[in-house]
Amino acid sequence: MVPIGKRTLQPTLALSMTGLFLLLLANTTPILTFEVVGRSQADYMITGVIELWNQGYFLIALLVCFAGIIAPALYLSSIFYISLATVFRIKLPGLRRVFSLGRAVNPWNLIPVYSIATVVSVVKLKMLGEVHWESGARFVLGVAIMSILSNQISDKQIALERLEEMGVEIT
Amino acid sequence: MMNLSDQTRLNLSRALVVTGLILYIPSNIMPVMTMSLVGKVDPLTVMGGVIELYDSGLPLIAGVVFLASFVLPFAKLAALAWVLFLHGSPSLRRERSKVFKIVHRIGSWSMIDIFLLAVLAAVGQLGALASVRAEPGCIVFAIVLLCSLVAAEIYKPRLIWEDA
Repeated sequence: MVPIGKRTLQPTLALSMTGLFLLLLANTTPILTFEVVGRSQADYMITGVIELWNQGYFLIALLVCFAGIIAPALYLSSIFYISLATVFRIKLPGLRRVFSLGRAVNPWNLIPVYSIATVVSVVKLKMLGEVHWESGARFVLGVAIMSILSNQISDKQIALERLEEMGVEIT
Repeated sequence: MMNLSDQTRLNLSRALVVTGLILYIPSNIMPVMTMSLVGKVDPLTVMGGVIELYDSGLPLIAGVVFLASFVLPFAKLAALAWVLFLHGSPSLRRERSKVFKIVHRIGSWSMIDIFLLAVLAAVGQLGALASVRAEPGCIVFAIVLLCSLVAAEIYKPRLIWEDA
C-alpha cells in the first residue's frame, strides 16, 4: 500500500489550506471564557500576548506571539505555497526562499503545544471559577491537527523533485 | 545564522547548553506567575503548579505538565551536553544521532508552561476578583527553553559524523 501523500502533494495542499483557514478563525474567535462572581473575561490568542506585553514581559509576549501565531501562519503558508506550485506545476516567484522559510519555522510551529496548554489552563481555572469553552478552542485544535498531519504526510522528497523539475534547486 | 562555520556552531551550542544548565535551577525555584483570587495571592513556581494539579485529583494532567516543564527541559539540555561533549569522537555516533533526533522532535513541548501563562494572563484581568501577573521567573524559564531550542537548531546532526 502506498501511504497517503507519497505520490502527490494534493493532500498537503488541502490540509495546509484548511489549516490556514482555521488559523484565521482561531485568531478571531474567543477560545474560552472565565467567570468569577458574575464577571467574565474572554481569552483570544492575542489577548495573552497583549497582557504579557502590558505587564512588561516583552520576551515572553514575543515568544508566545511567534510560536503560537506567527510561526504556524508562516509554516502553513509556506507549505500551501510550495504544494500549490508543485501540484499545478506553476513556477511561482521565490519558491526557493519559501521552501527554506518553511523548513526554518517548522520547529517553532508550536500550535499543538498551545492547544494542550489551553486544556491545562481550563483545569486550573476550574479550581478558581467557571470556565466555558468557546468556538475558538475547536479552531485551535483544528489548526494543531492540520499542522501535524501536513508535516507527517507531506513528502519532502517529492516536493524537492518536483521543484527541481521546474528548475528550482534547493540546497 | 545560516552561514556559520562548524566551529562557531559548536561553540555557540556549547555556550547555550551551559547557560541553560546554569539557569535550570533558578527557573524552577523562582515563581513564574502570581494568581490572585478575591484577595488571596498565590505565587506559583513550575513545580508548584504540578503539585497543585496533583493535589486536585488530576494525576494524569499533573504528569504531563511535570514531564513537559520539569523533566523535558533538563533531559534535553543533558542530552545536548552529552552530544556536544562527545563531538569529534568516533564513539557512539549512531546513538548520539538518534538522541539528537529525539531531542529535536520533542523539545518544544516544554513551551507548555509559557503558553499556560499566556492563557491565564489573558483571562486573569478581572481586577480585584481575579488577576494573573507574570513574575521574573518566567523570563528565566523562557531563557532555559530558548537556550535548548536554539542550541539544537544551531548544532547540525551532520556534525556528529565529523572527526575532530
